[in-house]
Amino acid sequence: MHGIDWVDVGLSGLKIAVVLGAMLNVTPIMVWVERRGSALIQDRPGPNRVGPFGLFQSFADALKFILKEDMLPAKANKVLYTIAPMFGLIPALTTIAVVPWGRPFLLPGGRLFEPIIANVNIGILLIFALASMGVYGIVMAGWASANKYSLLGGIRASAQMISYELSLTLAAVSVLMSAGSLSLVDVVWRQTGSFVLFNAIKLPAWNIFSPAMWIAFVVFFVSAFAETNRLPFDFAEADAELVAGYHTEYSSMKFALFFMSEYMAMATMSALITTLFLGGWDIPWYNEPPNALGFALSVLAFVAKVSVLLFVFVWVRWTVPRLKYDLLMKLGWKVFLPLAVINIVIVALFIAKRWI
Amino acid sequence: MISFIIFFFFAAVAVIFAAMVVLHRNPVVGALSLVASFFALAVMYVLLEAPFLAALQVIVYAGAIMVLFLFVIMLLNLQHQAEPHTRPVQQFLGYTSSAAFGLALIYYLAKFGVTKLPEGVFVADARTVGIRMFEAYIFPFEMVSILLLAAIVGALILSGRTGISSTQGSPSASVPSTKMPPATPASTHSEEVR
Amino acid sequence: MIPTHWFLILSAILFTIGVCGVLTRRNGITIFMCIELMVNAVNLTFVAYARQFHQIHGLIFVFFIMAIAAAEAAVGLAIFISLFHHRHTIDVDEANLMRW
Repeated sequence: MHGIDWVDVGLSGLKIAVVLGAMLNVTPIMVWVERRGSALIQDRPGPNRVGPFGLFQSFADALKFILKEDMLPAKANKVLYTIAPMFGLIPALTTIAVVPWGRPFLLPGGRLFEPIIANVNIGILLIFALASMGVYGIVMAGWASANKYSLLGGIRASAQMISYELSLTLAAVSVLMSAGSLSLVDVVWRQTGSFVLFNAIKLPAWNIFSPAMWIAFVVFFVSAFAETNRLPFDFAEADAELVAGYHTEYSSMKFALFFMSEYMAMATMSALITTLFLGGWDIPWYNEPPNALGFALSVLAFVAKVSVLLFVFVWVRWTVPRLKYDLLMKLGWKVFLPLAVINIVIVALFIAKRWI
Repeated sequence: MISFIIFFFFAAVAVIFAAMVVLHRNPVVGALSLVASFFALAVMYVLLEAPFLAALQVIVYAGAIMVLFLFVIMLLNLQHQAEPHTRPVQQFLGYTSSAAFGLALIYYLAKFGVTKLPEGVFVADARTVGIRMFEAYIFPFEMVSILLLAAIVGALILSGRTGISSTQGSPSASVPSTKMPPATPASTHSEEVR
Repeated sequence: MIPTHWFLILSAILFTIGVCGVLTRRNGITIFMCIELMVNAVNLTFVAYARQFHQIHGLIFVFFIMAIAAAEAAVGLAIFISLFHHRHTIDVDEANLMRW
């Protein structure tokens, strides 16, 4: 650590405040998007009473959560029942610390402002490490509720999550191989610029336009649904089968914490997909200058990409049905894991032949 | 300065949660305390300038192996099994012999402690570990992958689920299925008829 | 810079706690967890010495130890599950058919 002064500490505090504010505001916005978006897909009006276009629905929901009675089942293990929602929240809030959300630019004093909270060498390994912690929240919630359905939901959800963590990790490995580094900052820098096809079409050098990464993109995208327990992989909640799965016995603020952590995990996964495959903060066909204007435009581009992906999450939820649990596990182990490994071999071939 | 504070805090966390594993009756609490201890050890690895290994410790140990432990404990409902109390003789001998061993170890480690580190930077990131692994240690790497395959097959066979359906084999299957319901007279009669 | 022998002493304390647990407890799962604690204490020793001598071999060895410990945990828990289904008790003192 060389020469950290108070300005650095202040800038870090500012970055943390901005990212934390953004993450905590994702849930109310996503609740509105989900309810109006699902209404749009199902050809019905959706909430439109509370404020114009139902925009203040989230405030009403928040008030409801705060004012509900907070229960504790009689036979539940009190300590584990209370700390389980926190384990769901920790991965969602901490993994966003290593995702770069804008272009580094020069402040007036000559200092470089890097819009990433923790620029460590092992960036993406931290994401995988903390995502494994999310499994504990579900397992503890299912077990500590002293309820058969909760236990079943919890075990199913955690088995699903650890199975799809493998294909998630291996699909990300092929992207990291082409970038040559574990840090997400390097992954995004490799996707700036453009490559030219047939001497005429100029495509941005995003990973999604590279044929070696198509399989990895599909595997990562679907595994992200399984990791965040969203339909078509929401066997953890399974509204028609398991009452409400692992959060059956939770009410008021503890349920609100689970609810929030699901949307925040969605936002983090969308940010990760954007960074790995869609070029992160890069604006296509435009060389951002290293000053405040370039930074602001890159942050806008990043937020736009993440928003599109979040809408796709909502869209898929209300379009695709949920099948069976054993089909899910077969898909994870017998289809996605071999596909992810095959993609690593393909990327290795591309790197060896210097096509990437 | 601040690294000393971090070291003492997380060393205390590691030791306290490790002691809770040994002393607490409930195996679920023991498993979760072990997870906390592993986290504290990951912080120790970061202090020892090996952040790659710290991330691996959390991913492999705290994120996979302990989840396996928790699955086994919760699915077999082991927290309701009363563990019989250890005989006082065994407790006394166990504690005193391990304490004597530990004290001797700590005494000699403190007596011959070396405080001088060689010059230069210790680079221990993924690139250097990977290069050394695939150049000098490639043979052990392949052997460990074969060992993991053997472990997977062994665990499958031991748990009795090799994919061979027990109704197609002989009724006295040598591999007991763990979840088979007790055979009713109707089903065994139909098997013999077939 | 934290002296290396402080890490070694921490590792010795964790190893001793693990040995205590293996010798004193009768629950099979708890004994298993204390064995994992001992393996982790040894991992810490390896990493401490790797930094002491600026050699990367210690870290590679820890890599292999983690992989082997994962395999051992899987097989050991499978053995424990079979034992539990035959004996219906988690007390390892009851697994005494091969005693004289």
